[in-house]
Amino acid sequence: MPRITAIMLSLIWMVFAPPGGFSGPLTGAQILEQVDQNLQPGDLEMYRKIINIEPDGRKKEFVLWFLKKDKDKVVTLFVSPASETGRATLRLGDNMWLYIPNVGKPIRITSMQSVVGGVFNNADIMRLDYSVEYNVADLAEDQDQYLLDLKAKSGAVAYDQLKMWVLKKELVPTLIECYAATGMLIKTLHFKEVKDIGDGVVRPAVMETDSPLYQGYQSIMISANLKKRSLADEVFTLNYLSRVKDLR
Amino acid sequence: MALLTLFAGPVNAGEYDFTIPEAEKNPYEFGGRLESRYIYHRLDGDSALYRLNYYQDDPGADTHEWRALAELSGSYSRGVFQANLLTHHEFVSTFEEDEWINDIYEGYVSLTPIPDLTLDAGKKRILWGKGYAWNPAGFLNRPKDPDDPALNLEGRTLLGIDLIKSFTTGHLANIGFTILLLPVIDDWANTELGDEGDLNTALKMYLLWHDTDLDFIYFDGPDQPRSFGFDFAKNLAENIEVHGELAYQQDVPHVVLDAEGNTRNTRQDQLGYLLGARYLNALDTTFIAEYYHNGSGYDRGEVEDFFNYQEAAFHQWQSTGDALVMQRATQITRPYYQQRHFGQDYFYLKISQKEPFDILYFNPWIAAVVNLQDFSFNLQPGMTWAPVTNVELNFRVGIPVGPASTDFGEKPDKFRPEIWARYYF
Repeated sequence: MPRITAIMLSLIWMVFAPPGGFSGPLTGAQILEQVDQNLQPGDLEMYRKIINIEPDGRKKEFVLWFLKKDKDKVVTLFVSPASETGRATLRLGDNMWLYIPNVGKPIRITSMQSVVGGVFNNADIMRLDYSVEYNVADLAEDQDQYLLDLKAKSGAVAYDQLKMWVLKKELVPTLIECYAATGMLIKTLHFKEVKDIGDGVVRPAVMETDSPLYQGYQSIMISANLKKRSLADEVFTLNYLSRVKDLR
Repeated sequence: MALLTLFAGPVNAGEYDFTIPEAEKNPYEFGGRLESRYIYHRLDGDSALYRLNYYQDDPGADTHEWRALAELSGSYSRGVFQANLLTHHEFVSTFEEDEWINDIYEGYVSLTPIPDLTLDAGKKRILWGKGYAWNPAGFLNRPKDPDDPALNLEGRTLLGIDLIKSFTTGHLANIGFTILLLPVIDDWANTELGDEGDLNTALKMYLLWHDTDLDFIYFDGPDQPRSFGFDFAKNLAENIEVHGELAYQQDVPHVVLDAEGNTRNTRQDQLGYLLGARYLNALDTTFIAEYYHNGSGYDRGEVEDFFNYQEAAFHQWQSTGDALVMQRATQITRPYYQQRHFGQDYFYLKISQKEPFDILYFNPWIAAVVNLQDFSFNLQPGMTWAPVTNVELNFRVGIPVGPASTDFGEKPDKFRPEIWARYYF
C-alpha cells in the first residue's frame, strides 16, 4: 500500500473511530452506568436550588448543600430559607434520616415523603445512582436517543419503573417518566440546560418535574457549584449529621 | 397579614437563575426567630388542678395567656473549631403574673480534629431516644411537646466526646460512642441534676446494624438513680417504621399519697418502656401510634386516692379557711404533677395529612393521648401552615375528656385553643 494511503487511512481512523475502538453497541447496563457517571461522577459536593411553583405563580425556594460518596451515601444540608437552615438529611443505601436542629435527634423518613413539600420527594433530592436501584429491563432507540426501561431492584425503591430517554452522544437523560407498581404515572422529570456545573462536569443543570397528582404545580431543581470532594465515611453517619454544617 | 402579601410575582419556569449566593459561606452566621403565641384557657372550676392553682383567686370562667419570644442564634467556624450560641428571650403574661424569661439555651465550643472525633464543652441540647410522645430512655432530655417539634429546648452544661467509626463490609455499618460529663456548678449549671460539686456521667453507644438504629445508654450521678436505657428504630417496609425504648432505673425515690394525705416514701427499681410505629399511606397520611409504660407511674387506685385527697383538702379549706391545708396539698402533690403524665400506661395516636386539597405547606393533624387505666384522654386537633417563606402559622385545641378522679378529667382547662406564629430570619 502506498505510504501516503496508509497515512490517510490512519488519520481517518484517528478522527472517526469511537473511543476504545469499535467494541460493539453499548448494553443497557453500560448506558445506565455512564448516565450515573455523567450526572454524579464519584465523590462530590454541590449546591441545589429547589423552586416550588404554585399554579398562581407564587414560588418558594430552598437551597441545599449536597454531598455524595460512593454509590450509596448522600447528605443534604438546608442552607436557606432561614426556617429550614440547619436541617440535614442522611441517606445510607435504603436508610434515610432527617435531622431538625430544634428536635435535636434524627428521625427515620421514607423516600416518598418530601422534606421540601411540592412535587419533589426525598428520593428525588437524595437520589442514589440509578444503577444501584434499577435493572435495565429493555433498551430501545428513539431517533437520537436511547429509551431505557428500568425496573426497581426492590420494593424499597421510590418508583417501581422508570422510562428514561438518554442522548446517544452525551449519555445524559432528557426525560424520565416515573411509574408506580400499578402502572400509574407518578411524575415526569425533564432534564435541561446541559452545561459545565463545576469542576468540568458537563450535565443537565436543570431538572423540572410535574405530576398528574399535583395538577398545575411544578418543581425545579437547579444544580450548580459542583466540586469533586472526598470525605471520610464517618461524615455520612447519624452521629455526624448535627455537625455536617461545619464542613461547608 | 402584610407578610402574607410578600410573595414573588409570576415566574416563567423557562428562565433559570444559576447563581447561588448562599454558596459563599461566611465564618460567622447569625439568625433567629420571633414568635407570638396566644392561649385561651376555658377553665374547669371543679377540677383538682384548678382548685390547687386558684383556691385563693377568682379567675372567672376563663383566662388568657400571651407569650412573645425571640430566639437568637449565632455560630462561628474556623477549621476544626466551632462555636455556637442560642439565646431565649420571652415575655409571658398570664392571669397570675407577667414575667420576662431570659436564658442561654445553648453556648458551646466544639473541636473536630478528625471526622471520627469531636470534643464539646459548654451548654448543649441533649435529646436521646426514638419515641415521639415520650422518651423513657431519655434520662437527660428536657420535657418536650410532641405536637410542637420545632420548639427549642434548653441544653445541659457538659463536657463531651463523640467517636464514630464506619465499616464498609459486614452488617455493622456504623458505630458511635458518646461520653458526657455533666458537673453541677454553683447555681448556674445542672442544678436540677444534683448538689454543688456532683459529677454526672452519661454514655451512649450507637450502632447501625442490619439497617437498624440501636442505642445503648447509661446514666449515673451521686444524686441520680443508676439508669440503663436501650432504644431502636427500623424501617420494616418503605412506609412503615417501628421504634421502641426500654429504661431501667435502680433505687428511685417514689412517693405515694393516700386519700388522707399521708405520704409513703419508698425506693424502687423502675422499668419503663415504649413501643411505637409510623405508617405512611399512598395518600400521604401519616399515622403515629405509641404505647408507653411509665416506670414511675401510679396505678388506678393510687390516682384515685390522689384526687380524693385533693378533694378532701379543698373542702376542708372551704369550711375552715385555713390556707395551710392547700399549701400542704400543693407541696405533697408535686411528685405527681411534675411528671407530664403520671399514670402507668398510655397510648398515643397522631394522624396527619400532608397538603390536603393540594394546599402547599399546609398540614392538619389530630392527636390523642389516652390513659389506659382510667380511659380518660386528651384530644388535640391542630394544623401547621407555612404560606410564605420563613413564616409559620400553627393552631391547636386541647380538649381533655374524662370523669372526675381521672388523669385528664381533672385538668384545669375544659378547652384550650392555642395559636402561634413564627417568623425566621
